[in-house]
Amino acid sequence: MEPARAACRGGEPRTGVLAHLERLEAEAIRSRKQLEQQAEESALESKINKLRSLRDQLRADVKRRQATIEASTANSEPNRMAGIDEPEDLQRKQENMKGILQAYHFTGLSGKLTSRGVCVCISTAFEGNLLDSYFVDLVIQKPLRIHHHSVPVFIPLEELSAKYLQTDIQHFLFSLSEYLNAYSGRRYQADQLQSEFADFLAGPLQRNPLCNLLAFTYKVELKSQSFPFCARLMYKDITVTLPTDVAVTCQAGEPSTSQEEQRVAHENLFRSKPLHQVFALFAKKGEKLDMSLIS
Amino acid sequence: MGGVESLQRPPPGLLRLWLRIPNGSCGAGPAAAGRAIGGFEGAAGGNRSPRRDAAGYVGRVKEMDETIAEFIRRTILKIPMTEIMEVLKTWDFLSESQLQSTNFRQRKEVLIQDLIRLCEEKHASLNDAALLDLLYTQRHRHRKIWDVFQMSKEPGEDSDLFDMEQFKSSFKRILQRALKNVTVSFRDTEENAVWIRIAWGTQYKKPNQYKPTYVVYYSQSPYVFISSSLLKSTLPLLGQALIVASKHHQIVKMDLRSHYLDSLKAIVFKQYNQTFETHNYTTPLQERSLGLDINMDSRIIHENRIEKEQVQRVTQETFGYCPLPRLEFAQYKLETKFKSDLNQSVLADREEPLRCLVKFSSPNLLEALKSLAPAGIADAPLSPLLTCIPNKKMNYFKIRDK
Repeated sequence: MEPARAACRGGEPRTGVLAHLERLEAEAIRSRKQLEQQAEESALESKINKLRSLRDQLRADVKRRQATIEASTANSEPNRMAGIDEPEDLQRKQENMKGILQAYHFTGLSGKLTSRGVCVCISTAFEGNLLDSYFVDLVIQKPLRIHHHSVPVFIPLEELSAKYLQTDIQHFLFSLSEYLNAYSGRRYQADQLQSEFADFLAGPLQRNPLCNLLAFTYKVELKSQSFPFCARLMYKDITVTLPTDVAVTCQAGEPSTSQEEQRVAHENLFRSKPLHQVFALFAKKGEKLDMSLIS
Repeated sequence: MGGVESLQRPPPGLLRLWLRIPNGSCGAGPAAAGRAIGGFEGAAGGNRSPRRDAAGYVGRVKEMDETIAEFIRRTILKIPMTEIMEVLKTWDFLSESQLQSTNFRQRKEVLIQDLIRLCEEKHASLNDAALLDLLYTQRHRHRKIWDVFQMSKEPGEDSDLFDMEQFKSSFKRILQRALKNVTVSFRDTEENAVWIRIAWGTQYKKPNQYKPTYVVYYSQSPYVFISSSLLKSTLPLLGQALIVASKHHQIVKMDLRSHYLDSLKAIVFKQYNQTFETHNYTTPLQERSLGLDINMDSRIIHENRIEKEQVQRVTQETFGYCPLPRLEFAQYKLETKFKSDLNQSVLADREEPLRCLVKFSSPNLLEALKSLAPAGIADAPLSPLLTCIPNKKMNYFKIRDK
């Protein structure tokens, strides 16, 4: 039933059946539209009412909760209703968690998830002193790779990663941690010698970046006479903090028997104890070196 | 990709031939070399009496002083007036009283004459003068172009008990055995680095003090920085001396070059962009400084805010948050076939690759590249050929078709 399009084109009202039918149809369309609009309106109204009631409910809820919080904070006892998490409680838990995560680096090996992988932190320590931390940023992709790191260049990181990174990451991290801890320990001993026991040194301490070769001249008092000794400590195994080879020589030509005894005793000391502990012993003993301390 | 000059340690049989053992003077063996080394090393105190050392300077002290004086004069002339006092103090050759008695407010030429006179009174040796030149270069290191070389060891060699004194004496001995006339000076710096100055001569000519080569070596690392020298023929011997003295197997020239030694060091030791995510962070990592000021009027709406944030994010991910090391140029040598959108093109029909050279220059190239995408000049992410410069430790590239 198509409306005749020619109708009303001229502008003058047409009489006749067709015109009447057209008028009726237009009215029907109009009234249908009106009905639709009314239906929409009422739908929207009911929706608005629903939302209003929901809002009122939520507001009442909030008021209620605030009242309970105030009530519970008014009583300083933990008179809390079970099952409701107050904001302070949550905050305390969050701070606790943050603290635990921060403290994790005391274990020596800790990490944090990043957007592309994990950033591992190796914290080194020696004899209970916390030393430097080194980072390795790993990208978790099919071949696991290192994005960037703060490991010094003389630590064999490429070798370790070539051997273990793809197959056994635990081994990789533990080995790296071993190397770094040993390096930190050796450096700590050398730094201690230079700062705490500088009085014993007759010249500058010669050291290399990896701290695996130390050479110095020192003097120890014996019966109010001081004899200079030259010591050369070599750490061929860079995963340990004690030297593998020690050579102590008397600086002044022919050593007497007591000097020779001392020399051997010192060599054994350097081989068995950390460097700064040896010098602490020298400092303590003062004039006489107790032979019984040689382990 | 990349130009490579590789020097390997020759088999022992060839070594003597290569080093050109001189006919007679050093024939006494290592003991004489040891004494000669002792004679050359004492720069700090200055030697007041004529020395009898193996290089045969006895009896020529007066003549040497003229050339040394001229050399010192030219060196001090290069130092800016404001720095002269400090450099002389570091040099530690002229005494405190001598420095106090000099008037540093005169015109430079007159001041230099006074200083030369003081040096002559103290009988400055060639080594003292060489050390002064080394000090000047250390302070003005950006006046040289530095090449980076990488040494490598045989896989599975023992861990390296590096001894700096042994390295220095070994290095000097090798150069002196090969060329009778060579001036070698050393200066240790912090961070376990040693600066070496070498003035080259030949068997029959004295060393040319005005064209020295400077070497910076970080011990127990594979990297050596060598100043670009005009005397290219000395490079093989220098490389040889370095690898033998530091107990490496071969030395290779990297495609990295710049005036800024400290930036080169930051690149090869990866000392830039050292922010790591930890639980202990005190400063927030998300430093989203958008360049769109937060203080701006809230009535202004940035239409492209999302795109700009995206570009910023990609740029930060590629280049990091920290200041980048400073390079002045990147050079790309292209040998690729010409590619064109037009169907008819004479160049596109060529079979052979087209050779061209593209060079990017900037006072600070990496920062400039970082600012390209945020400024809207290029699309982010940038071409990996540009962004890989610090990671690959290269700024000279050769690009060929695969």
